[in-house]
Parts: sequence; C-alpha cells; structure tokens
Amino acid sequence: MMPSRIGRMLRVYREYWRINILTTLEYRANFLVWFGFTFIYHGSALAALWIMLTRFPSMNGWDFRQMAFLYALWMVAHALHNTFFSSVGDVPDHIRDGEFDRLLVRPLDTLFQTIATPGQVFPDELILALVTFVAACIYSGVHVDPVFVVFVPLIAIGGALIDLALNLAISTTAVWFVRVDALRWIVVQLEQEFTRYPLGIYSRAVRILLTFICPFAFINYYPATYFLGKTDGALGLPPIVGLLTPAIGIVFVALAYVFWRFGLDRYQSVGH
Amino acid sequence: MTGAVPRRRFRLAPYIALASRAMAREATYRFDVFGSVASVLVRLYLLKMVWTALYAHNVSPSELPLHAIITYSAVALLMGLVMDIDQTRALHDRLHDGSIVTDFLKPISVPLGFFADGTGEVLFHAALIVPSLILALLFVHIDVPSAATVVVFALSFILGYLVGFWINFILNCSAFWTLEVSGVQLIVTWLTDLLGGEIIPLVIFPVVLQKIVFVLPFAAMFSTPLLIYVGVIPPAGWPAALGVQLAWALGLGGLATLLWRAGARRIVVQGG
Repeated sequence: MMPSRIGRMLRVYREYWRINILTTLEYRANFLVWFGFTFIYHGSALAALWIMLTRFPSMNGWDFRQMAFLYALWMVAHALHNTFFSSVGDVPDHIRDGEFDRLLVRPLDTLFQTIATPGQVFPDELILALVTFVAACIYSGVHVDPVFVVFVPLIAIGGALIDLALNLAISTTAVWFVRVDALRWIVVQLEQEFTRYPLGIYSRAVRILLTFICPFAFINYYPATYFLGKTDGALGLPPIVGLLTPAIGIVFVALAYVFWRFGLDRYQSVGH
Repeated sequence: MTGAVPRRRFRLAPYIALASRAMAREATYRFDVFGSVASVLVRLYLLKMVWTALYAHNVSPSELPLHAIITYSAVALLMGLVMDIDQTRALHDRLHDGSIVTDFLKPISVPLGFFADGTGEVLFHAALIVPSLILALLFVHIDVPSAATVVVFALSFILGYLVGFWINFILNCSAFWTLEVSGVQLIVTWLTDLLGGEIIPLVIFPVVLQKIVFVLPFAAMFSTPLLIYVGVIPPAGWPAALGVQLAWALGLGGLATLLWRAGARRIVVQGG
C-alpha cells in the first residue's frame, strides 16, 4: 500500500473521531443514559459474581478477587473492541437496507470504511474498563512485574482483535444469510457470559470451542491463569499459553479478513 | 382528558381482536424461534455448569440442594421467555411517533388496549416454552412438584406477570415526559434479572441484601413463583406470598393509572 493512501486513511479516521465526539457532545442526555447503562451492565455482572462467591467462596479454586481480575481483563478487551470496531456488527443491517452498496463504490477499502463510519461512539466504556482493571489489579493482589506491564496492553489488544475477528466473520455470513441475529446472539453469549467463569467448569467440548474455534478463553482465562499463578489449565495446556493472546488475535483477524474478502467477492445486493 | 370522555359499556371483543392481531404480527416478523430457544438452552447450560461447580467445592445450602437450584434456573429461564418481553413498548413507540393521538379516538380504554396487545404478544412467545422445555429436558433434570404446588405456582406466575406489566407500563409512561426511555428500559431489564431472582435465587443473597431485595417489587415477578415451585415457600406461606404479589400488582396498577391520567392530560406530540 502506498504511503499517500495510508495518509489519506489516517486523515479520514481522524475526521471520524472528530465527528463522533462532536455528535456525542450534541446528545449529552443520551450519552448519560448510555453511560448509565454501561455502568449498570458491568456493575450488575460483578455484583452477581460477588453474590455467588459470598455464598460459595470458591469456584473451581477461584475466589472472588481472582474472578474480579478475570472479569476486568475481559472488560478492557471488550471495551477496546466496542470503542474501535463495533460498527463491524452493523454490516448485516447495512446489507439488508442496501446502505452497504454505497461503501462498495467508494475509493477506499470497504472494511476500513465500515470501521470508520461515524456513529455515536465515545471512549466512556474504555475509561470505565481501565479504572475497573486498575482497581481489580490492586484488589486481587496480582503480581505486577515487567512481563505483566509489557504483556497486558498487548493481551488487551489481542483480545479486542479476537472479538473483532468473530464479529467480522459473523457479519460476513450476512452475505449469504440476510438475517444472522440468532448466530450472533449465541456467539455474544459465549463472549460475554461464558468468559465470566473459569474455563474448567465447562464440559470438554465447550472448553475446546472456547479455546480453538471461538478463542474467547484467550481474552481473559488463559492470561489470568498465567498472571495469577493458577494451575487449573483447563485443557492441560501450560499456563504460558496465556501470553499467546496477541498472536492468536492477529491470526484470527487475518482468517476473518480472508473470509470477508471471499464474502465480498460473492456479494449480491439485496436489490433496492 | 379521560375525565371528559363519557363512560361506555365495557365490551371484551375489541381487546380479544387486539390480542389476536398482536399474535399475528409476532408470527410474521420480529420473531426468531431459533434465536429465542437457543438463548434459553445456552443460558441453561451455563447456569447448570456454574451451580455444579459452586456446589462441588463448597458446603451446599440445606434449603436449596443442587437439583433444586438447577430446577429453579430452568423454570426461571422458561418464565423469562414470557416475562422478559416489554409488552408495552408500543406505548413508548406510539408516543414517540405521535400515533398515540389516534388511539385516544378509538372507543376503547387505551391502557387496556395496550394490555391486550401485550398479552397477545406474550401468548405467542409462551408457545416457545414447549419446545424449549423438551430440549432442556435432554440435558437437565427438572423436578416436578405436587399438583397443588403447580397450581399455586401458576397463580403466582400470573400475579408476577401483572407486576412486570405495570413496571414496564410505568417506565413507558415516562415517555410522556422524557420521550426517550430506551436506555432506561435496558437498565431496568438488567436490574430485574438480578434483583428479581431470575439468575440467582434471592435466598442465597447475603442476609443484608436479602432485607432489601425482598421488599422491592422485582421479587414479586420472578422470585415468589420460583420459590413456591421449588418448595422454599411451604404451603403455610402461600397466602402471604400471593398476598404480597397482589398488593404489588394493585399498588403499581394504581400508580400506573395516575401516571397515565397525568400524562394523557399534558400530551405533546413532537413534529407532524
């Protein structure tokens, strides 16, 4: 790719964030309600864990402090994805209403345009996630060493890429199946709810699913196992695999991108 | 406004027509059988694994052994197919686009019209309970209590449905004043899931929290029928439990009526 083209994309992307922030400032009441929603969503998830682990102090050897760290690690990756890539999930809607065809005829990469289509995004969830993560690190007493400092940001990015890869793959299936809500819904459950608990509580098939097919366990479970010095490696994998998250993120995004290009080549407009 | 309208003789036929029209509407669109059933099964699997892990490593509560809590979760999820629907969403939508004014011209009670419409929608979704239950029985065992308990459970479920209906109605009534409640609605859904005992039985909450959650109306929606079903509320406690539910249904119904009258008097339609 030529440098001028990258420069153009960067300019477009900067403009995207400028519009996003201006739009959010315009709809302040809406923003507050959605921030309240984000806050209560994560707050009630953590509260539910706290209630369970107050009554039953251990889940497969994990206590509430460790589960709070597990949740916070997921939260950072998830918020990164929601802040920067969530518009990828809108592709099926755009295909259905014909809006997608407009992106195809413009002189910039279609996926880039999808990601850089202004919506109403604000980094509020990301800020909340970072605050929660710092609090969870202190609360869980996780050992913070140079490996932790170097790898946690990479793992968060890798986790966001894993999210993006699955989001993109599902959106791509909309090329063939106009309605993909049910499939997306199941994957969202796997990503948002199954990642709250240690992988070891699931049956073997689900552990394999969450490790190799929808590798959400690499967003938080494997890295948390490594950093907290847990020994319950669910599939007998050594704890060090927890540091592979960035690589897995890149590989899965690459695979999803290949699938996306394959889908685009076969795209037929729904016709409007 | 309502005060000026002369009282008409009550006729049931229009409401039955509204309910059956709502069922037909649900059948043609907005309805995703696969997604709804899959959602119940995925969540049931998750809860089964979570409770099994928690019970395996800790002292289990005597009033709620593992098979009872799995039964509780399964029945809660099946109830959720009906309870988690915002039946009065139409009220908010019609206030939003202004079409509510035509409802006032119809020779029916408008709140009862919404109730009929919502009930039609809910009855259609209730049909999903059967396939979900059959599939759920493939991987969990659901305890079946005595016939008397089942009858009282059904009665309590209906009262819980009324409480839920009025809570939704009150929230959607707030659109008379704010015109934007979608975020608030989501917040309340998450709170109901947790505070109503849909996910975690309220009896295993920490004692301090129990004192709060049992006096909130959310407990009347899920917790009461479920605790009757699993036998935590014994026959001697049935009259009191149903009495509290009835009080909530009447109290919230009264509040909703007041809000409706106040709102209808100051109705403002945006744009044209």
